[in-house]
Amino acid sequence: MELNDIKDAFDRVAKKQKLSCSKTQEVIDLIVQEIEKALETVKSASHLDDKYVLTELKRRLQDIAPLGQLEGTQKELNIALSKYTKILEKSFNPDISKAYRNIEFDTHTVSQIIASHFYRQGLFEVGDCFISETKESECSAAILSIFEDMYQILEAMKSGNLEPALKWAAANSDKLTQNGSDLQLKLHSLQFVEILRKGSREEALKYARANLAPFASNHVNEIQKLMACLIWARKLESCPYPQLVSQTNWVTVAEELTRQFCNLVGQSYESPLSVTIAAGVQALPPLLKFMTVMAGKKQEWQSMKQLPVPVELDKEFQFHSIFVCPVSKEQTSDDNPPMIMSCGHVLCRQSINKMSKNHSRTFKCPYCPSDIDAAQCRQLYF
Amino acid sequence: MDSLPNGNSAAASPPQNTTPAAAGGTTPFPKLTQLTEALKLEHQFLRVPFEHYKKTIRTNHRAVEKEITSVISNVADVSDSENFSKDDAVNHLTSLVSRLQGLKRKLEEGSRTEHLQAQKCRARLNHLESADAENLAEWNNTRVKRILVDYMLRMSYYETAEKLAESSNIQDLVDIEVFQEAKKVIDALQNKEVAPALAWCSDNKSRLKKSKSKFEFQLRLQEFIELVRGENNLRAITYARKYLAPWGATHMKELQRVMATLAFKSNTECTTYKALFEPKQWDFLVDQFKQEFCKLYGMTLEPLLNIYLQAGLSALNTPYCYEDDCTKEDPLSQESFRKLASPLPYSKQHHSKLVCYITKELMDTENPPQVLPNGYVYSTKALEEMAKKNNGKITCPRTGLMPSPLMLAYRALINNTVVLTCHQNSLVVYSRASWTL
Repeated sequence: MELNDIKDAFDRVAKKQKLSCSKTQEVIDLIVQEIEKALETVKSASHLDDKYVLTELKRRLQDIAPLGQLEGTQKELNIALSKYTKILEKSFNPDISKAYRNIEFDTHTVSQIIASHFYRQGLFEVGDCFISETKESECSAAILSIFEDMYQILEAMKSGNLEPALKWAAANSDKLTQNGSDLQLKLHSLQFVEILRKGSREEALKYARANLAPFASNHVNEIQKLMACLIWARKLESCPYPQLVSQTNWVTVAEELTRQFCNLVGQSYESPLSVTIAAGVQALPPLLKFMTVMAGKKQEWQSMKQLPVPVELDKEFQFHSIFVCPVSKEQTSDDNPPMIMSCGHVLCRQSINKMSKNHSRTFKCPYCPSDIDAAQCRQLYF
Repeated sequence: MDSLPNGNSAAASPPQNTTPAAAGGTTPFPKLTQLTEALKLEHQFLRVPFEHYKKTIRTNHRAVEKEITSVISNVADVSDSENFSKDDAVNHLTSLVSRLQGLKRKLEEGSRTEHLQAQKCRARLNHLESADAENLAEWNNTRVKRILVDYMLRMSYYETAEKLAESSNIQDLVDIEVFQEAKKVIDALQNKEVAPALAWCSDNKSRLKKSKSKFEFQLRLQEFIELVRGENNLRAITYARKYLAPWGATHMKELQRVMATLAFKSNTECTTYKALFEPKQWDFLVDQFKQEFCKLYGMTLEPLLNIYLQAGLSALNTPYCYEDDCTKEDPLSQESFRKLASPLPYSKQHHSKLVCYITKELMDTENPPQVLPNGYVYSTKALEEMAKKNNGKITCPRTGLMPSPLMLAYRALINNTVVLTCHQNSLVVYSRASWTL
């Protein structure tokens, strides 16, 4: 799909439109001219009979045939318009609803999902407006308050105020360490650097002693670097650890805080709606492609238990292990689990049963020449 | 699929240098194809403002044609008429001139509107062009917002649509004005008025005819029913003669059925005809209008949100999503998503992808899977972390098993390409061949 070609086609449309416009103005001017001429002649006490003038005018106008003159530019414009429509239909998929199953989505559930999405993205006003327009009552009150807290902390950080963040981190210090997060230290480091930036070495040192010291045992390197920055107070730009003192550090720490916050309140980091839509964007092209082949069989499509074509999503959408048996090409399930053979290769149970004729004989592993006894294979749990 | 190597797999293929960049890293090319495929889904995005633009052009041109024709025929009338004075002639001609001047001004204005709409079309083309690897996260975020605005407009939540569009400055990328037009018709229909709907039909007469739409017929039928309901039977018949008869050729059966209502009162109990008098019929008209409207503008009949959600839910749908320990990052761990996904098919994949139970990370060449003696599988990273924190001891988080060093002599081959060995006190990985998932 060449966007440039499409843009060119549109430029042609715009050009033809301008031409049509100016031609129309021209034609109107012509008519006006003729009428004004006739008007002058009638007004002036000329020897010409009024009726004659008017008949002449009528004839002149018929000769000019203004609408006929416009036909040419109109036709060109219409050609350009239909060409653009065609290029759109060719370059894009004109109907992405072909793979849609006629299953009603429960409106309440969808509204709930949308409202939660607005709140966790920080769009509180939009969320409130949505709730009032849909007349859904406080279905998402819980989510609202959770994320309101989070955004208050983040907004404060944006304006340079670390207090709420530090308070939250201190209150959740145990859980944070359990998760292996050094958020508290990072926040204190930011504060430390800010104090240095404002110039007071004394204060910075005092702050470090009070707040950075407790982390000294586990984070020797970071603390050393931070303390070294004391030397460059007021000249932080020339400090040899730019990543510690740059403003982008704030963004990174804000992200870490968001991640930990969501984790501790039992929420996902990404909005589930965004994730699902992104998965949908990746899933639609293969599904639509399949539908063009499947055209007449809409009935089967509606009642399938499993998608008929594989949809490979990016790894960020992989939340569960999928094992595909290399022999049967089927996905393993609880009924047909993956089994590891004594040689170390893995097949699904059904394949092993088949190849061993239901445990009645040994068989050769399809990948290495070892002899396999089906009874010795054990189930794997991913 | 991969062909099965025979003989010793060590001899089968020379160990390739699986550097992280080649193995699990994403090269720009696949991302680019993925982006192109995603852009191909955006037909509606470009088509709607273009249809709007076309409509404005058509309407403006028709107005011009009409006015010019009128002026010319006016001149013809005046020149043909017998009794007029010089003053009359002068007045007539002057008024014609001023009409034409008025037309020119209107043309100017119309041209400005058209220009704005053309700008909108261009803005959308530019937006598609602007999508690239660097700003992908933001572009995707904007897409979610666009999809939500589309949903709001279809469900008539206009305020939310506007607020959402304003909040991220995407007014050019959404079709609020187009739906405002629809709102007028929908509001009127909900007030049991057909006039705006009929006006819309006449505005779009040629295109509705091309698509063989019977919407106008349905509107006329409803007006007829309302006349019968009010017991204005004579007026109803006159109405039918004028407005319903022309549709008789193509829709005789329906026409007959509705005409029969003349024989009943509006509170009839006869089921066939009772249905026709139901106020629900107006809701049906609203739905019909929405469908015709969307078709005309090249929009999908269902909201974009539903289309993307259905595809996404299906692609993410596995039986494991419904277990209690499903990770929170999976949307299907949430009740509301599970509800939507329950009638949908499960996903299908052709390539194995293994996710560590502990870290939720992908287990690939950089982080290979390890098999404990009880058959439970975890990633190397997770087991190493655990060993580091616990004096070299590991405990299976699901069964509590603590394999002793001697028990860890187990070999596993997943997907026939990587040989793993858990050795004594350290977890060692031997990579015998390239890892292809």
